Amino acid sequence: MIIAERKPMAEIRQMIAPYKKLLLAGCATCVAVCWAGGEKEVGILASQLRLAQSKGRKKISVLEATVERQCEKEMVEELRDKVQEADAVLSLACGSGIQTMAEMFEDKPVFPAVNTTFIGMPEREGLWVEMCGACGDCFLDRTGGICPVVRCAKGLLNGPCGGTRKGGKCEIDPEKDCAWVLIYRRLEKQDRLDLMRQYYTPKNFRAVKRPGRIQSVKA
Amino acid sequence: MNKCIVAFCCEHSAYPAADLAGKLRLHYPESLRIIRVPCAGRVDVIHILKAFENGAVAVLVLGCEDGACHHITGNTRAKERVEYCNMLLKEIEADGSPVAMFNLSPNEPHKFVRAVNEITKRIKEPGR
Amino acid sequence: MKNKVGVFFCDCGGAINNIDFDAAVKKVAKFPGVTCVNLSSNLCLEEGEEKMLSCIKEENINRVVVAACSPDFKEHFFRQVLESAGLNGHLFSMANIREQGSWAHDGDITVKAVELIKMAVNRARLLQPVKKKKFPVNKDVLVVGGGFAAINAALQLSRVGLRTTLLEGEAVLGSETAELGGLCGFDIGSMVSEVEGDENIEILTSAEVRATAGKIGDFTVRIRKGGEEISHKYGAVVLATGYQTKLALESELKSDINIVSQEKLCRMLEDPNLEIRPRTIGFMFDFSDENSRLSTLATLNNALAARQKWDSEIYVFCKSVKVDSPRAEKLYREARDCGVVFLKCEARPRITADNGRVKIEAKDVFLGEDTILACDLLVAEELLLPSEGTEALSSLLNIRRDSRGFYQDENVHLYPVASEKKGIFFVGGCRGDLDLSRVLTDVPSVVASVYELLSSGNILAEVERVKADPQKCVACLTCIRVCPHDAIQLVRTDNSKEVAGISDLACDACGVCAAICPAKAIIFQGYRDEEILAQIETIGES
Repeated sequence: MIIAERKPMAEIRQMIAPYKKLLLAGCATCVAVCWAGGEKEVGILASQLRLAQSKGRKKISVLEATVERQCEKEMVEELRDKVQEADAVLSLACGSGIQTMAEMFEDKPVFPAVNTTFIGMPEREGLWVEMCGACGDCFLDRTGGICPVVRCAKGLLNGPCGGTRKGGKCEIDPEKDCAWVLIYRRLEKQDRLDLMRQYYTPKNFRAVKRPGRIQSVKA
Repeated sequence: MNKCIVAFCCEHSAYPAADLAGKLRLHYPESLRIIRVPCAGRVDVIHILKAFENGAVAVLVLGCEDGACHHITGNTRAKERVEYCNMLLKEIEADGSPVAMFNLSPNEPHKFVRAVNEITKRIKEPGR
Repeated sequence: MKNKVGVFFCDCGGAINNIDFDAAVKKVAKFPGVTCVNLSSNLCLEEGEEKMLSCIKEENINRVVVAACSPDFKEHFFRQVLESAGLNGHLFSMANIREQGSWAHDGDITVKAVELIKMAVNRARLLQPVKKKKFPVNKDVLVVGGGFAAINAALQLSRVGLRTTLLEGEAVLGSETAELGGLCGFDIGSMVSEVEGDENIEILTSAEVRATAGKIGDFTVRIRKGGEEISHKYGAVVLATGYQTKLALESELKSDINIVSQEKLCRMLEDPNLEIRPRTIGFMFDFSDENSRLSTLATLNNALAARQKWDSEIYVFCKSVKVDSPRAEKLYREARDCGVVFLKCEARPRITADNGRVKIEAKDVFLGEDTILACDLLVAEELLLPSEGTEALSSLLNIRRDSRGFYQDENVHLYPVASEKKGIFFVGGCRGDLDLSRVLTDVPSVVASVYELLSSGNILAEVERVKADPQKCVACLTCIRVCPHDAIQLVRTDNSKEVAGISDLACDACGVCAAICPAKAIIFQGYRDEEILAQIETIGES
């Protein structure tokens, strides 16, 4: 799922400084699961902003609302009344959600309270790791299901680079496992090491035009 | 400003310790308000922040000793949340309102009273 | 429909004497939601109870607050009073104005008392009923192990009428404990015969646990025996997998003819054909593992036996002799009276092989000098370790082990023979260092617990005290991973959505899941966010 992380408080406060009435909008999907922007985090940030203002700063009022998925227009529509009440919206959703809000309520400034960082999964409780770079040209079939675009520091397609450290660690970041060592071991388990000897041409990053647009077949 | 100290007390350790303090007539500040929870691990960040929003001057979270939590990891989770809370309060320069976690056993009423007195000392006057 | 709260004050027969009750009653009567207020001197006695019952019925009260002593003391009692008045016992909140009010402060505390009551009232207004139900359970018990503790447990379980399966990995029951028979004074052979003759006990040898699923009352265990796998259902599981010993020797030394284990020494003592009696024997214990009762007992027993039987010179090297087991102190005195020499050392002695003998170099604390002993036989220090397979089994059952790898016995706040997962118990050496007397008391403890749980064929438990709201749950798996009692799993709702399902039997109502749920989907009756926040928001209102 999409992993996001709350922005530093100083940055948030700078964004909202000119405003008196704020709506904090959360999303109950990806950002809730990675503990960055769900109903709970909305509550915590709102509480912080209220506590901050009681220390002699300008009075602001803080509204809270969370929708199921902030990237769906119908769901965001439910927030219309609350948005009208506010001077500005601070969204804790991922970039997709924030922009949907901004588009639905064009007359209100919509600010990001989180940084959308990557597509990932929980390695263990509370630890989110990046798995996929959304490059639009997946070749996990050839790498035993491990993505070197994201998990190799150099993004090599024909790795390893030869600088792998002892214990299979990355030359650039010794805390990381060398992705190509992982790939080798995985392919070895599946008896598909012949793939290591195949040479792959450079990736076509134009395979994905930015911004991406996909038309699914209508059911 | 309600000037109260809110103490979340777990029913396996701190709550009976507080009762015992009363039985032994050990006195502590009247401004203490105890909220009973089944485990310190039930206490969430928002509960602590709301206590401050409502005017509390300090918040205590009291649970079982390390390794003695009836629910295994409840007290460690509470400790992490308290530390996170301290960070959140520091971010908005509200760290004069202390929140702290103490661990004790149900038969340690003096430890309970010490915890209350300790957190009282850490309360900073507004403006300092 | 707003709830109607009845508040009942009690001055505990005058024990609460620094509250102005009249003023308090007047203030409380004005709280929103409060329909009636009563003052009594003895609410928990018959007279007070009757007054409460009639007040509840007459005033149509549906939420009750008692302002008196600690809920730890009387909550259970008052819940029952509610039930007899036709109200669910959970619609009750208590304001602790005695232990945590009147007795904890000097002077008049009416203001605090009134606030504590208001906190309780605001919480009570939100409380929801929680029903109880009888859950049918499987009455069969699985005992994993085949040694002294396992056999004892199986026999006692059978005696109370519970059918038991005794599951042993070896081909024969009692094979591991047979060697200790001489030391501990029990006849494993006759115990095995008794088990074999017991109709209530099914014996599976050369068998192992391959997988487990389910919760207390309904465990499904897949057992592998003789190349085949079969699934059985059990209401409870008792682990009695024992321990193993390992000589704690420096790597250069090898266990050989003159460096032996306690067990080997036992056999030597019993061997009528023993060629050469060792004239000087050194014992070592208490250096690597300072908590070993078994080593202490074995050393004392064997030192005494060797002295008496062979008249050897015996020297015991240790840090201290801990005599907290039954018989240990007596044995120690006997050994010393007999001429066994104990040397108290702070550091571990150095052992070297020396011309067919063993050289022990140590510094005795009292002599303050280095001592060198050349002995014919060294009974080396032994480490007590969990038996092989303990780690694997704990993974299968998803239960914790302590820092030494034994099934968790360090958390003294837990009932020592129970795991954090309801329905799973431990007994015997797999719990760590236990002397026999402890095993003998642990077994009936476990049997009593299992009997209490399973004998009636059902367990009365609260229904949905803690529940994941299927509308809000997104199956992020956080609660499942985090539940300390392994009480949550993924279940399918009626419309096929996968959500977290909390087992009513296995849940221990701690609230750890409710706190961590990112979607705030877990409803923990009595400790929901609204119920906690209602108390917080009441503080300082006046």
